[in-house]
Amino acid sequence: MSLLHLVILAPFILAIFIPLFFKYVKQVHTGWFVLVLPTILFIYLIQLIPTVSGGEPIVESLAWVPSLGINFDVYIDGLALLFALLITGIGALVVLYSIYYLTKKGEALHNFYVYLLMFMGAMLGVVLSGNLMVIYVFWELTSLASSLLIGYWHHREKSRYGAQKSMLITVTGGFSMLASFSLLYVMTGSFNIQEIIAQAGDIATSPLFIPAMLLILLGAFTKSAQFPFHIWLPDAMEAPTPVSAYLHSATMVKAGIYLVARMSPVFAGASEWFWIVSVFGMFTLLWGSFNAVRQTDLKSILAYSTISQLGMIMSLLGLGSAAAFYNYEEVYFTATIAAVFHLINHSTFKGSLFMVAGIVDHETGTRDIRYLGGLMTFMPITFTLSIIGAFSMAGIYPFNGFLSKEMFLTGVLNTLMMTDFNMQSIGFLFVAVAWIASVFTFIYSMIIVFKTFTGKYQPEKLDKKPHEAPIGMLISPIILASLVILFGLFPNQFLSYTLIEPAVQSILPTALPAGEQFYVNIYPWHGWTPELWLTIGVIVVGTIMYLTLTKWQNIYKILRLHKKDPINYIYDGFLDKLVTGSQKITYMQMTGRLNNYLAFMSVFLIAILAYGLIEFDAFALDTSIVGDIPIYFWILAVVTVATTITMPFIQNRIAAIITIGVVGYLLALFFVFFKAPDLALTQLLVETVTTTLFLLCFYHLPELRKEKSKPRFKIANLIISLGVGIGVMIVGISSIAMKAGRPFESISEYFKENAYELAGGKNMVNVILVDFRGVDTMLEILVLAIAGLGVYSLIKLRMNDEGGRLK
Amino acid sequence: MEILMVVVVGVMFTIATYMVLTKSLLRVILGTVLYSHGAHLLILTMGGLGTGAAPLLSTEGPHSDPLPQALVLTAIVISFGVTAFLLVLAYRTYKQHKTDDLDQLRGSSDE
Amino acid sequence: MSNLLILPIILPMLVGTILIFFAKNHSLQRVIAGITAVLLLILAFYLAHEVYYHPQQTMILELGNWSPPFGIVLVADMFATLMVILSSIVGMLCLFFAFKTIETERAKHYFYPFYFFLLTGVNGAFLTGDLFNLFVFFEVMLLSSYVLIVNGGTNYQLRESFKYVVINMIASAFFLVGLAYIYAVTGTLNMADLAEKVGVLEQQGVLNVIAIVFLFVFGAKGALFPLYFWLPNSYYGPPAAVSALFGGLLTKVGIYAIIRTFTLIFTHNTGFTHDIILALAGLTMFFGVLGAVSQFDFKRILSYHIISQVGYMVMGLGIYTQLALAGAIYYIAHHIIVKAALFLFAGATEKITGETSLYKMGGLLRSHPLLGWLFFISAMSLAGIPPLSGFFSKFALILSGIQEERYVIVVVSLLVGLLTLFSMMKIFMYAFWGEQKIPTEKVDKKETMGLLKPIIPLVILTIALGLSAEPIFQFSLGVADQIMDPSNYIDSVLNQD
Repeated sequence: MSLLHLVILAPFILAIFIPLFFKYVKQVHTGWFVLVLPTILFIYLIQLIPTVSGGEPIVESLAWVPSLGINFDVYIDGLALLFALLITGIGALVVLYSIYYLTKKGEALHNFYVYLLMFMGAMLGVVLSGNLMVIYVFWELTSLASSLLIGYWHHREKSRYGAQKSMLITVTGGFSMLASFSLLYVMTGSFNIQEIIAQAGDIATSPLFIPAMLLILLGAFTKSAQFPFHIWLPDAMEAPTPVSAYLHSATMVKAGIYLVARMSPVFAGASEWFWIVSVFGMFTLLWGSFNAVRQTDLKSILAYSTISQLGMIMSLLGLGSAAAFYNYEEVYFTATIAAVFHLINHSTFKGSLFMVAGIVDHETGTRDIRYLGGLMTFMPITFTLSIIGAFSMAGIYPFNGFLSKEMFLTGVLNTLMMTDFNMQSIGFLFVAVAWIASVFTFIYSMIIVFKTFTGKYQPEKLDKKPHEAPIGMLISPIILASLVILFGLFPNQFLSYTLIEPAVQSILPTALPAGEQFYVNIYPWHGWTPELWLTIGVIVVGTIMYLTLTKWQNIYKILRLHKKDPINYIYDGFLDKLVTGSQKITYMQMTGRLNNYLAFMSVFLIAILAYGLIEFDAFALDTSIVGDIPIYFWILAVVTVATTITMPFIQNRIAAIITIGVVGYLLALFFVFFKAPDLALTQLLVETVTTTLFLLCFYHLPELRKEKSKPRFKIANLIISLGVGIGVMIVGISSIAMKAGRPFESISEYFKENAYELAGGKNMVNVILVDFRGVDTMLEILVLAIAGLGVYSLIKLRMNDEGGRLK
Repeated sequence: MEILMVVVVGVMFTIATYMVLTKSLLRVILGTVLYSHGAHLLILTMGGLGTGAAPLLSTEGPHSDPLPQALVLTAIVISFGVTAFLLVLAYRTYKQHKTDDLDQLRGSSDE
Repeated sequence: MSNLLILPIILPMLVGTILIFFAKNHSLQRVIAGITAVLLLILAFYLAHEVYYHPQQTMILELGNWSPPFGIVLVADMFATLMVILSSIVGMLCLFFAFKTIETERAKHYFYPFYFFLLTGVNGAFLTGDLFNLFVFFEVMLLSSYVLIVNGGTNYQLRESFKYVVINMIASAFFLVGLAYIYAVTGTLNMADLAEKVGVLEQQGVLNVIAIVFLFVFGAKGALFPLYFWLPNSYYGPPAAVSALFGGLLTKVGIYAIIRTFTLIFTHNTGFTHDIILALAGLTMFFGVLGAVSQFDFKRILSYHIISQVGYMVMGLGIYTQLALAGAIYYIAHHIIVKAALFLFAGATEKITGETSLYKMGGLLRSHPLLGWLFFISAMSLAGIPPLSGFFSKFALILSGIQEERYVIVVVSLLVGLLTLFSMMKIFMYAFWGEQKIPTEKVDKKETMGLLKPIIPLVILTIALGLSAEPIFQFSLGVADQIMDPSNYIDSVLNQD
């Protein structure tokens, strides 16, 4: 256990105490207690930067379940540290914001902050662990915490729906990751990421390599809301806005990005990786931005925007993996650098935009842009913040979004240089998609700002009179917006050396000869490059399209996208079918009819018996023991068979009971015949009592009716019955045959020899019963006692279904 | 002889199965009784039949196998106890539900 | 040889008998029963301790001093003692829950004696080393279960118990059939002796078929596909304490018997028998979980989950490696504890709301937060969410499945895990989230706490079993190692010094 383990565990430990704070320190908002932790952690992590950016990862290990290869390893390299800083830094800002967003009264703050801390700890666990299984453990915890946060206002139907959706989708991905990690373990014998990376070359030829890759990508895509798994994210907006800002834009949804980046050293050499990651990313980028434009809820716009931006980062990681093919030509590094850079930028501008949306919601009572407008004069600071965030997102100078978007375009354009995969021609498709998506990004960024803050003010549609938010609520977005500008103006001073270079080093560990470090220099002006022309095109076309929005908005109706995301039809339909389908299947078997149950069971018995008999050719017949059978035995056997066969045909209740009695007495005759006098006596006695009991119980029952079932069923029943009977018979005959040839004697010989000498009895059966196997007999008496008591209580105790005693 | 007995047992199991697949309370119970009969007979049969005298040391050997007899005796008593319980259970079920038709004892799925 | 082995059997039997005479005095019954349950637990741990530090890690007791294979022998190896511990834990806590919830009427009608007779049968089934004796213990256990499941005699109980009893009686008849066959083929009933002789026999075709008969029998008791039809409805009727004991413990006796016989006796053709078991495991978990998905009733969802989870246990047996068996054993321990807890939660919510239908419940989290969160932890554990006990056991199974290239079962088990999560979330969303629908004032805070007290240890156990996975897993590996190598069992029983 080291200090670094404590960094991960601290949020969990604090979470335990939160309910106490909430209960006993009522005058202070619980959030203040929470705020301390991410702040301390952030400062602690900041001072690790020099060590980590020096190229040396920090490693600590702690045994957890070593026999399964699960060790709680902490591994901090550039990538891990970058994420950890985002988690704690934005975490602190979000907690601060939430203190003003959620009131002390009426909110279940103890629940809220427990979830939030649980999430923070889990997320730190994901990014700081060096063991795949530990990552998995924390990964599932982030899904859980996220789901609980989405369902925080659980009296709302939509919250519950969103919580369930996010849980189902992300946990599906989680399970697929579990399978993938297990595959990796089988290939490499380790869950330790660095050990796996060391064997990356060896496992690339394994037949399990591609399945492991696909499964891990499924995990990453579900978490990072890549198409078609993105549908949980818009519904996750039911969570309180601080949560959306934190989990569903800045941190958790980037866990998938993290995983792809983290596993790049293992998989990046495969062309499948390149294609899947970049194509899914690109399509998500397009789909998200295109759908964001049709939304009317501010948070929904932001949700789709997040989807789109995540797609962009994902595609950059995919494009960056090209470096692994081309002997790490430097030109392909741009995409990876852009991915890391944009990841940081996105957290800043999207975080602030979510907070702005929260402020608007908080101060006006709605987030619907159809009701909003003209808020500029009421909330000037918020308006300014929204401009900074949205313009950065749209890729306008001098904000940080401009720089990373330029790099993104460079990364995409660079693919045109690739010599494989027909990239010279297909590559243009990438460029086109990137450009179109950028146009839509521009449009929805404008919608966020101008539909909310300019235009006609409609006070009649608002619940309350809008005014500027309290200063506490503004601090966090102001800090984030300042970062947007600072990173935009001085990217190299703040980020390049400290965070981006070490992170890129982690994603492409073998790109440079040992000892060398990446050198990242970001600057806005590259001359009149194609990227710049593309950006200018985006702004021009975007502005025109924004101004003519009403003219072409019908396209969503034509494409049938205006109601809900088409993927949602699949999801809802699937859940619906799942429940109705499982009901159908279940009630097909669970009919409540005993005869159905027994028929299923019998058919199963026949089937596996037949399978076994045929498979092993197990039927054997030993003719030597057919021998002489006395004539009276024949008669006895025939009478027994005949009596038994008449049973189903008897309509008279009493006659049926007598008949079963007769079979019992015939059994006793058999026992006599087989030299079992004790058995015969017992059987006679028991049969008499049973028959009497039968008569007692069934005297009042109605007469047996003729079975009214259709002949078809009767025949089926007959076949099943014959199957069971014949099965029992065949196995019996075969066992007898085997018995004749078995090489050892029965343990009975011992009883025969020793009954008198050791146990002092001449009746061997009795000796066995009371001595050799006395416990059986004792328990047999117990059974009788239980039966007696049971019958007594059954007759005496009669309760109604509500648990009361029946009179 | 064993083979003949196994055939008898097979018939018992056939009829027993047929009986429990019907819808009448009483027939089902009779079926279970028949199952027990068949099983008891089978144990005795599989232990080996007619190879000697009753397993009493007072008679001359060779004796037939005493162990299956002891087992069957235990089994008979146990199945007697269980059957008695089942009978009363069936009686109470009939009295409470006023039917001996298992189709009407299905219960609905939404309880 | 140690007389200690008989105590987990004889003690509940004697106490059960004594309790018959105090049936009218509910409080005295509680005192005696409570003390006995605690004693049983201490005893179980002591026995486990003795066995663990025994040179062979297997202790035996020859009943009546008749040496095996002639007399009946009790065998306590690590697997058996683990099961006795689990039965004692769950037995004790469900009993404590019964103290709070069982109506005096039921208590007067021998509820507690039957409870202890059931434990007699269960512990006996775990400890016996004789196949016919196993049958007898099964009958003790089953007959007690018949009585308990119908105890109260409501219309519903009567109707469903009848089906339960008939199906189990038929399965018992086939148990005798199987015994008859195996006795014919080997001439013995002692399990160690059987294991040895089955290994010697050359013509093994029939043995495979006989093994199948036993699989059918134990599968019917353990609720394998397609032999589980008796379970979902019959477990719905009785009081929660009984449902919990049954749901946690009873089906696992069948599973124990399957694992015992198919690691000790029927190991001669695992390509056949264990492949069937693996296929059944997949089908069992699949159909079981579909049942759970289809239901909207607290108790019924849990009942169907028993079925699906039984699948995981036999999955470990079907894969048949040390890791897989260790996973199965871990899973059994996890399941017994969590399942009992969940059924008790169902009982507690039923007590509070008077309902088990999810449609009629809601908002319990607000009025009963502790209940809600404890339930949530148990539910997540059941669904295999880390780091709770359900995760590590399931993970060991999945990992072993991948190692043995049994991909189909791995995929099925992951899907089933997902649907398990789905249906457990359903309970949580309907019963604990949402608007409160039923006034719950009639059960005050103190009473709720009283209901929760017996459950809390179970929840703590599921957390502890997860966080301290290493020692538990080491132990499971030890157990798996022991049962994978039957020679230890055989030598301990037959070739003692």
